[in-house]
Amino acid sequence: MSKNTSSSAFRKIDVDQYNEDNFKDDEQENQQLGGIDENEINQLLATQKNCDALKICLENAPLFSKNQQAKEQALQITLRVLLSIKPSQIDSALEILDAELIDTLMKYIYRGFEFPQDGSSGHLLQWHEKVFARAGVGSIVRVLSDTARA
Amino acid sequence: MTEKYFFGGSVNPITCHAWNKDRSQIAISPNNNEVHIYQREGNDWKLMDILNQHDLKVMGIDWAPNTNRIVTCSVDRNAYVWTQGEDNKWKPALVLLRINRAATCVKWSPCENKFACGSGARLISVCYFESENDWWVSKHIKKPIRSTVTTLDWHPNSVLLVAGSTDYKVRIFSAYIKDIEKQPTPTAWGKKMTLGQLMAEFKNSTTGGGWVHSVNFSADGNKVCWVGHDSAINCVDVNTGLTVVKLKTEYLPFLSCIWITPMTFIVAGHSCIPLIYSFDGTSITFVGKLDESQKREASGVSAMRHFQSLDRNSRLESTDTVLDCIHQNAISWVAIQSGTKEHTTKISTSGLDGQLVIWDLTLTRSMQNLKI
Amino acid sequence: MAATLKPYLTAVRHTLTAAMCLDNFSSQVIERHNKPEIEVKSSKELVLNPVIISRNEKERVLIETSVNSVRISISIKQADEIEKILCHKFTRFMMMRAENFVILRRKPIEGYDISFLITNFHTEQMYKHKLVDFVIHFMEEVDKEISELKLSVNSRARICAEEFLKRF
Repeated sequence: MSKNTSSSAFRKIDVDQYNEDNFKDDEQENQQLGGIDENEINQLLATQKNCDALKICLENAPLFSKNQQAKEQALQITLRVLLSIKPSQIDSALEILDAELIDTLMKYIYRGFEFPQDGSSGHLLQWHEKVFARAGVGSIVRVLSDTARA
Repeated sequence: MTEKYFFGGSVNPITCHAWNKDRSQIAISPNNNEVHIYQREGNDWKLMDILNQHDLKVMGIDWAPNTNRIVTCSVDRNAYVWTQGEDNKWKPALVLLRINRAATCVKWSPCENKFACGSGARLISVCYFESENDWWVSKHIKKPIRSTVTTLDWHPNSVLLVAGSTDYKVRIFSAYIKDIEKQPTPTAWGKKMTLGQLMAEFKNSTTGGGWVHSVNFSADGNKVCWVGHDSAINCVDVNTGLTVVKLKTEYLPFLSCIWITPMTFIVAGHSCIPLIYSFDGTSITFVGKLDESQKREASGVSAMRHFQSLDRNSRLESTDTVLDCIHQNAISWVAIQSGTKEHTTKISTSGLDGQLVIWDLTLTRSMQNLKI
Repeated sequence: MAATLKPYLTAVRHTLTAAMCLDNFSSQVIERHNKPEIEVKSSKELVLNPVIISRNEKERVLIETSVNSVRISISIKQADEIEKILCHKFTRFMMMRAENFVILRRKPIEGYDISFLITNFHTEQMYKHKLVDFVIHFMEEVDKEISELKLSVNSRARICAEEFLKRF
């Protein structure tokens, strides 16, 4: 007792975190556990069907997954597909995507910016420009606000 | 066609505004602890009274049309009910909200015998007048709200209450006070209606996230629309099941929404232009823009201005200070200026640019097709 | 190289426009307080996803948004030692006078050279689109400024060396 009286550590405890009214994340049902099938994507890329590969990537994106590893893996695959599509093909790639997938695509573009490798950012900036022209500022707002992250 | 006003030469944002019954007076808060009452005189506004009982920023004002009482709530955790005395001055009466965080929004119930007040204390106070003690007391709706309540609206039966909050959820509660009211009749939202009963709960988005900025019950109370921070517009119709119909827009997030006919509603927010949407029970469709200001002419003199601005700012594009729409900053508040939720003919909007704009809906091209 | 500057700034501009949708918000943890939630981070539901926009390995912008504030951190291009020193001196000069720049933060976020903090009080007083313009303008100018400084340092050094070597 006497030893502890001079200690001030207790003053720094964050008591607010124990408030029982605090916001808690919803228990998300683990939808879309499947994730992206890498072999399938590789096959599509090998046969030059890059746009279809992108669509499959986005449809199966594990946005709700709690498994960080699966998300990372999906990100790497999607980025590879994104960078394999030439700037001249971007418009045709966007044509086959619906609004929901466009939002997902925007999430991956922003994630891609976090890992700049030689020239990837310049490529992603072109993607960003095209997607913005299609979906407007709303898609960026949803990248910021959605809790289901890429 | 649209009337634009600044109050008292001030360019401060207008936090909120409310009209009296015959729309001859308006109560506004100029983004501080005061509420100003203005009387309309032709094209001018005359300052009638300043309500300065609050000591921090006022967050919500509501003016009960029939009983002619104003309720205000503020960040200082208090709410006051103001009544007009013989000398036309307003007298405050403190409400015991029993909250320990900022009060964020307030709304009279349609029958005007009680009001609801949302707060940062993660609860809603339903307040009513207790005549024995001659004061306003409150009852709390607490569970399961997990974050600040940002917006409220009453069902036309004065019992149900819809609330939106920053925990990404919209909830419908019963706010039945058995001390002052008769047993309510069941509605489509459910039968059991004890105070605080959760009638329905909706997630703002299937992909999670998005603070709810504004909620609104339709005139018949069977539909609810709300807007969130994911730039989406959401509607629920109790008669077509409790599925949320969602429209993700390409605009910036909306801050306010209000029904103007049984099928259509107006949304406005950070994009500075009020938009009209309609909801038929299964889908939301875009009807039109209220602000039809054209892009300012881009030839002749302005070409010179264009290059001047390029030169001065060494920028590749010329964005001038003035936006191509009436409001110059986010619209934070929309109210019905004339008409009812069944049939609105004029709405008023106010926002961060300190302007109050009154829009005549009957003159709007896109509304004429709707034939309200 | 310059080819990516315009799309880079455009992307930052659009992201800032989306991020700068701020609202007045009183603390729900401490009564009668109103603090930038992005700094205090007291409730996680009030903070949005941070995003990064990069132009290449060295130049990037971090944008962190919350309900009433947004924090923008910029990593400035530094090709060599001189640019590093100049950049450090330049940003330090500004940050020591942060109160004159209104939205400047006194310290940068770790890993970045300079940070701005914009709250709802700024967006209430100033036009939002002008605030965005300012940040973009700053990003344009700072590169220019540093390369100009570098040129003048170099030419000064050359003159010094010339004068010195004249003696021999």
